[in-house]
Amino acid sequence: MEIESGFMWETFLVALSGIPVTLKLTFVTLLISTPPAFFMALGKLKEHKISSKVIGFYVSFVRGTPIVLQILFFYSLLPTVLNCFFKNILHSGYNVFAWNPIIYAYTVFSLNTIAVLSEVFRSALLTVNAGQLEAAMSIGETKFQAYTRIIIPQAMVAALPNVGNTTVSLLKNTSLAYMMTVKDITALAKIEAAIGYNYIEAYLVILMIYVLLCTVVQLIFSFAENVLSVYKKRLTKTADKRTNYILSRAAAVFAMLRAV
Amino acid sequence: MLKITNIHKSFGNNQILKGVDLEVNKGEVIVVLGPSGSGKTTMLRCINFLERADQGSIEFDDIKTDFRAAGQKTIRDIRKKSGFVFQNYNLFANKTALENVMEGLTVARGVPVKEAEERAKNALDRVGLKNRYDYYPSQLSGGQQQRVGIARAVALNPEVILFDEPTSALDPELVGEVLNVMKDLAKSGATMVVVTHEMDFARDVASKVIFMDKGVIVEEGTPEKIFTHPKEERTAQFLKRILKEDYRADQDSDFTEKDDSLLAKVFGGGSGKKAYNWGVC
Ligand SMILES: Nc1ncnc2c1ncn2[C@@H]1O[C@H](COP(=O)(O)OP(=O)(O)O)[C@@H](O)[C@H]1O
Ligand SMILES: [Mg+2]
Repeated sequence: MEIESGFMWETFLVALSGIPVTLKLTFVTLLISTPPAFFMALGKLKEHKISSKVIGFYVSFVRGTPIVLQILFFYSLLPTVLNCFFKNILHSGYNVFAWNPIIYAYTVFSLNTIAVLSEVFRSALLTVNAGQLEAAMSIGETKFQAYTRIIIPQAMVAALPNVGNTTVSLLKNTSLAYMMTVKDITALAKIEAAIGYNYIEAYLVILMIYVLLCTVVQLIFSFAENVLSVYKKRLTKTADKRTNYILSRAAAVFAMLRAV
Repeated sequence: MLKITNIHKSFGNNQILKGVDLEVNKGEVIVVLGPSGSGKTTMLRCINFLERADQGSIEFDDIKTDFRAAGQKTIRDIRKKSGFVFQNYNLFANKTALENVMEGLTVARGVPVKEAEERAKNALDRVGLKNRYDYYPSQLSGGQQQRVGIARAVALNPEVILFDEPTSALDPELVGEVLNVMKDLAKSGATMVVVTHEMDFARDVASKVIFMDKGVIVEEGTPEKIFTHPKEERTAQFLKRILKEDYRADQDSDFTEKDDSLLAKVFGGGSGKKAYNWGVC
């Protein structure tokens, strides 16, 4: 078998044009998922409440089913159900099937990401010791002030590495969006490949694109973590805070250059 | 000024406080002694509503309330009148020393930033941390962290500061710097309730010593009275045990249970600063 480099280049260009869709799928999903995941994490902190049971059930349900199955389920079931709803209950001629399929992609990916992130946020909140909450209350802050000023900022920094991992696996999962006819990197490459049966070349190309994208995402997160967690770093004997800060930034930039 | 009556507190079936009364007058330094698990921490936490007492009432200047009835507003008013210094410092890890001290001024009390910064710097200077304004807690030693903790309480001008074993998490060589700050504070007229096992501090600074055991106050009085003429057997035994440990650590000697002049040795001017000679119990 021969690898056709000309075709690979063409596919590469076509697949590149799918990057915006893939990134949109990833980051819009993240944006949609973060607030509910966050409030679920807060809700779950109170172990005895009913809310934490409900949330726990949701999380284990979503994480316990294959994402492909969820896609099949939502993509084939949801439009039909909605259509029934509009036709028979609202008696309107609204056409659900005209919706951009990306909406279903957002739905499925968000349901998954919310479940994962709520766990990420919950354990991040637990890393901040309760003593700081008490100290904040003892100086006269309200619980709300204590959470927004002391607990949550630290929890968010603690969550960054796991949010990074979540983002990377979400980015990879968005390649399943082709099942819902969303034209992301994977879908475009497959379409291109189907024309001349050059599947191997097409897959090689998108493999590289995904590796690149994931690496960049990871670097961004580790850079952000490096910058935001200055307060965790101990000083060396002679260096003062500012030099330490500059050093940490330089190290991050260096690591990034080396990786690229 | 501050009067607590009949605090009861249980955790599950475990009754920790069984009717404790405490009165604190302006300028007093009250040292609370007692074996571990006797409820000292729980008492302080109840006063600051970090723990909700099951029964009892608190009178703080013009605020008068039953512990159980107190609403969020009352609780916050009481907290604003009192400072708390924690055993584990509990500094805000994401804030610098200066920000830690400013937090209660700007956020909880609405003091303008400029003024808050000045007051916070003053407080940090007072505890000897003039050069550490911009350090994060992780960049400070335990002793320095605890001094920030004290500055954080002091900057708010509380009517009373509650200390929960402020030196017990520290390496021995760092205890002194924190105790010195507390002694200065006492000299300047601050009202303090201090749970500690530091007998020198109790002897030099306390205006009243309270001995707690198993959730009740067993005995209270001037340091002289408690240390030299304890009325209760439990107090005497506790003191003996603590002092022996101190003495052993200090002298590295091998004296025996039977050494009855123990208190005299420890309090008879052994540690220098003040030549007390209170005799033997
Ligand atoms: N939140 C809690 N839940 C259950 N038991 C507790 C709690 N806090 C304290 N206790 C128990 O109360 C007892 C007294 O504790 P504490 O007030 O810390 O004593 P002290 O400070 O005198 O050593 C201990 O036996 C401890 O185990
Ligand atoms: Mg204690």
